[in-house]
This record gives sequence, structure tokens and C-alpha cells, in this order.
Amino acid sequence: MSGAAERLSVGPFELEVLRRKAKRPGAPLLLLIHGINNINNEAPFLDLLAEYGEIVAPSHPGFGASLRPPDFDTMYDLVHLYLGVVDALPAERIAMVGFSFGGWIAAEVAAAGHRKLDRLVLVDPVGVKLGGREERDIAHLFNTLPAELDRRAWHDPAKGPTGSYGVGWHSRIGDAMSDEEMVTLARNWDSLCLYAWRPHLYNPQLKNWLHRIAVPSLVLWGASDRIVTPDYGRAYAGLIPGARFVAIEEAGHHPELEQPRAFVERVAAFLDRSGPSP
Amino acid sequence: MGMQLWNHCENPYPFVPNEVLEQADSVRASLPNKYCDPEIAARLYDEVLDEYRLCDDIGINIVTNEHHSGINNLWAASPVITGVVARLTKNVRILSLGTLVTVRPDPVRVAEEYATIDVLSRGRLEIGFVKSGATEMVSGDANPMRIREREWEAIDLIEKSLITQDGPFSWEGKFFIHPHVNIWPRPYQQPRPDFWAATSDLPTCAELGRRGMVNTLLFGGYDRTRQAFEAYKTARTEARLPAPGEDRFSYMAFCYIGDTDEEGIRIGQKIAWFLTVSIKSAPQFSKFQPGAVAPEMAPAAWRTGASRRPRPTNLEADMLIGQGQMFAGNADTVTRQIKEFRRRVGGISHIIMMTRQGLVTHAEAERSFSRAAKDVLPQLQDLPPVDADEIEWLARRAAAAK
Repeated sequence: MSGAAERLSVGPFELEVLRRKAKRPGAPLLLLIHGINNINNEAPFLDLLAEYGEIVAPSHPGFGASLRPPDFDTMYDLVHLYLGVVDALPAERIAMVGFSFGGWIAAEVAAAGHRKLDRLVLVDPVGVKLGGREERDIAHLFNTLPAELDRRAWHDPAKGPTGSYGVGWHSRIGDAMSDEEMVTLARNWDSLCLYAWRPHLYNPQLKNWLHRIAVPSLVLWGASDRIVTPDYGRAYAGLIPGARFVAIEEAGHHPELEQPRAFVERVAAFLDRSGPSP
Repeated sequence: MGMQLWNHCENPYPFVPNEVLEQADSVRASLPNKYCDPEIAARLYDEVLDEYRLCDDIGINIVTNEHHSGINNLWAASPVITGVVARLTKNVRILSLGTLVTVRPDPVRVAEEYATIDVLSRGRLEIGFVKSGATEMVSGDANPMRIREREWEAIDLIEKSLITQDGPFSWEGKFFIHPHVNIWPRPYQQPRPDFWAATSDLPTCAELGRRGMVNTLLFGGYDRTRQAFEAYKTARTEARLPAPGEDRFSYMAFCYIGDTDEEGIRIGQKIAWFLTVSIKSAPQFSKFQPGAVAPEMAPAAWRTGASRRPRPTNLEADMLIGQGQMFAGNADTVTRQIKEFRRRVGGISHIIMMTRQGLVTHAEAERSFSRAAKDVLPQLQDLPPVDADEIEWLARRAAAAK
């Protein structure tokens, strides 16, 4: 899960950052906001995506090799941190791509707005409460049997990629996993819990403010996701003005890991269709 | 030095069919309550409250606690049960050990409940704290991260609520906010009831020492208990505080006192259900719960399974007695075991007996309590001081053995 040694300073915070240079000049900057685990440097979608943009992927405080300062423990902290990340990046136009838990962060940042933000991609995001009070929109990651999470998170759990860990990663603990990976997974899991235990993976007020998102938006969803279902995704996209919803077949909660080519094709088409960065 | 005996019953519910328990991922938090028959629960409440009344008559103090949503414990709210006990009894001390302050949203309400009980009992309440964790965080929907910091802030707020007599005061802490605190009634004991905490975590024991709280261990065995008490004493020495009396130290063990050694051990063996059956827990509630282990300890915990269920081979009564986790036999044998325990841990005043546990019946429990009061407790009075040189020697021998 490691491999990224670069750092990014944002005010008093210093973040581990994974980077890929753009493979063509003038390509947009893609700020990836990771989900329940920091992005694996070896994940195949990274090189594919770098064909279409320069990649910057920080690890949230408490994830990967980023330290978590004392008292840094809420979504409020993460939103302001990422507004600071957008400030700190030299590019004037930034496309933000948020995955799962990171999709929630990206939606919050986009609703808050930033002059440098010009595209938004949400990939199986959480973050809003849409169903009734007795309907669970988002599987409870901490209270559910790990094997059940694994079943729900992947189109085909047996083909889950090695080395990249999504929801249900506990079921993949075995000889192939190094101690170093486990320590990172444990730090990530603890940090996710600090940020997201209650309400579990949503901000009850966020749906009131998604209408403020003023940039072209794409909502991508694994068609087989049962952590948060495509129906939730369609309703989520419906709250973002002009957002397009696209399902990716034979993928669950992590289409970028399970169907990297299809995922990158959708993102590339969106970046292309919504116009080149000025 | 006179010791005190305490009766701790968790009011377990050992009536769910075995095949249901075997198939369940967890016997706590997620086992549907259709398996709890309220008629049986009502009978259990009557029986255990009758045991408490008996203890009040014969001089054995009472401990209540709480756990939630499981077969191990029907005391879902320690302050409620402690309030009942306060009115049922007239004589003995009552310890709530305790309500789960890391799960309770407002410590001020906890302070109100305890102050009420202290007045109801005319000053017989002792207030205990436990850090909690595992399934309790799930059934109480409380973030399992930072619970130790949350517990200390809760304790501080409860203490200030109990001792402040010229309020209201305001509290704007990290975990708790209450801008207008002014509890009625204030406690009967002044300035407040004594505080206890259950822990074997050495830094926490040291903090208990600096605060002068009673440190109780649960089934810690000889060495762990002695180390915990040493941490308590050392912290006081370093803070230039007076050396603690033995009344600052407490220990909970399984306990059954029979007419004969054979009976004590045979019935004592029925207590082990607590460890073999009632703590079965799903991985997301135990080893994979955030905060359950420090990240650097995760590889060892995860690779080995880190089940909290002990191997049955460790649960024979003889083995538990040898480890200092059970006191069982006839009255003289149990007296000898408790005296030996006191000597090996460097002095202790409070022995909490977990007797009505597992498959032990109401009648069996009452017989053990009667024997404890009549034949054990008198032998634990007027004890000579523990030999400090001997404690030091035992500590060095234990260190050398490692």
C-alpha cells in the first residue's frame, strides 16, 4: 500500500502524496480522494488514468503514512484540509475524483465550492442520508461480519485484486499480506472510525447543499455494489445539478479496482466531453 | 486489617438453546431478544434480588454492573438495579461497577442517578467505572475510538457534578458539553461517594493511584494483579502522596464455598460457563473493532485469530484456582486461598466473589454466601500487615522467571 514518498504541506499538516506525471502536455490535474484505504501505488488504474491527467493522491491524516494530529477527527476537519489541498496545488484547474468515503469528502468540498475546482467525479460515494429512518442506505462497515462486507463490496469477491484493499479487506488476511500492510490497514481502520462512526458515513445536512455544486459532475457506480446500491447512487446524482450517473458493469463498490479499464474509459470520456481545461 | 467480601452477580441468562448459541456469530449485541423469555428474566431478577437481601442480612456487600444485549447479563442499567438494591437493603455497602460511561451520552445524568442512589441508601453507595468496549460500543452506538480519554473526561465531569454545591457550573469539554450543571439531590456522602475503577492497564492503575481511587482487577491472577497494584503504589510515591491503605485494592474472582472441598470445586466448575459460552463474539465486535489493539499489534492479533474465548483446557477449576482466578473449596480452604492471594499481591481489602454465575443455581449461591459470611469472613478480620520484604522478594522472583 505504500510506495509514495512525496509529501504535501497544507498549513500545519503534512500529507503523504502519491503522484503520477501526466503522459501528455496540457492534461488536467486529477486530485484523487481515497476511500477507506489510501490508494495502492501499484493499482493498475493509476497508470491508465495518467494517460488523461496528472495524478495527485494524498493520504488523509491517519491513513497511509500521513500523521493524524490530535483533535483532528471530524469530516469538518477533512473538508477544510482538502480545501487547503486545492489551494496548495499549483494547478489553476482541478478535477476532483472521490472514492467511497473520499467521495463524501469530495461532495462536501464541491458543495463548499472553490474557484479552482472545475470537474467532479464521485465513485460509489457515501455521505448523504436518502432513505427513511428505518432504512439503512449504507452498510455499517464496523458492525457487519467481514465476510458479509466482502460479499457485498465486490461483483466477484474471488477476483478481488491482491495488494489493493477495499471494503471487506478483513476477509483477505492471510500469508500474502505483510505485517506492514496490516499495520497500515489497522491505522486506516481506526482513523475511518474516528471520522465516520456516527452518523455512519453520512452528514445529515449534506443533501441540503448538493445543489450548490456548480461544476460538471459525473457519478460512477459499480452495478453490483451492495455497500451502497446503484439506486442510492442515482438519487445522489439527482441532487447534483446536471450530474450524470453511469453504472459500470461487473463491478461492486470499487469499480476502479475491479474494472480499471472501464472505469478509466468513463472518466476519460467525461473529462473529454466536459471540455478541455482552459 | 479486616477484609470485606462482596457479591457480584451479572444475572446471566443461560437458557438459550445450545444449537442457537452455536450457530450465532455472537451471543452478545446481535442475538435477537426473542430468545430472552421475560418470565424467566422476572424469576431471575427475583432470585438475585433475594440473594442481595440475604447478603444484606449477613454482612456481604453488593456489586451491580451492566452489560447490554446478550446472554451474559440481564442488568441492562446498573443505576436502575442499584436503586432497587438501595431500597431493598439497609446495612451493606453497594458498589455500582458500573454504568458504562463511555456509552452514556451525558455524564451529568449519571451523576444525578448516583446522587439519588446515595441519598436513597443513606450513604452506602460506591461508584465504579469501567472502560467498556467490544459489543458494548455496538449496542450503545458509541465510537470505540478514544474511549479511554472519553472515560476520564466523563469521570471528571461526574466528580465535579457530585461535589459542586454552589452551581450551576459550565462544562465545554472535548467529548461532553453541558453548560448548566446543578444536580439535585447532592450526594449523601461528603464530599462524594468513593470512586472505584476496574482495570489492569498499568498507566491507568497509576492514574487511579494519583487520584486515590479503588483499583479492582477482574480475574487478573497473581502476577498481573501484583504488578497493577505496584503501578498504583509507585505512582503515589512519585507524586509524593501518602502510601495507600489496603482498602484501595480489590479483586474479583470466581468463588464457591462448599461444605467440602469436593462440593466447592464441583459447583465452582459450573461458573466457567461465563468464559466458555457467554463471551462468544463476532470478529467485527472483537479483534477487528477499531481501537481494539494498537495498529502495531494488529498483525499478531489478526494472524492468530485473537479470540477472546479461552481454551477449555484452561478452565478446569483446579487450573483456575492455581492461577488465582478462582477461590473454591470448603470455608477453610477458601480462607487460605484468599489469605495467600492477599500475601502474593501485596495486600488487599476487598474480595469480590462472582458466585451466581453460569449454571450455579439460586439455592447453591445462597448456601455459598451463608458459608462465606459465617465461616470465611470472620477468619479475614484482624489480619497482620503484609510483609513488605516478602512482597519485594516475590516481585523479584517473578521478574527473574521471565
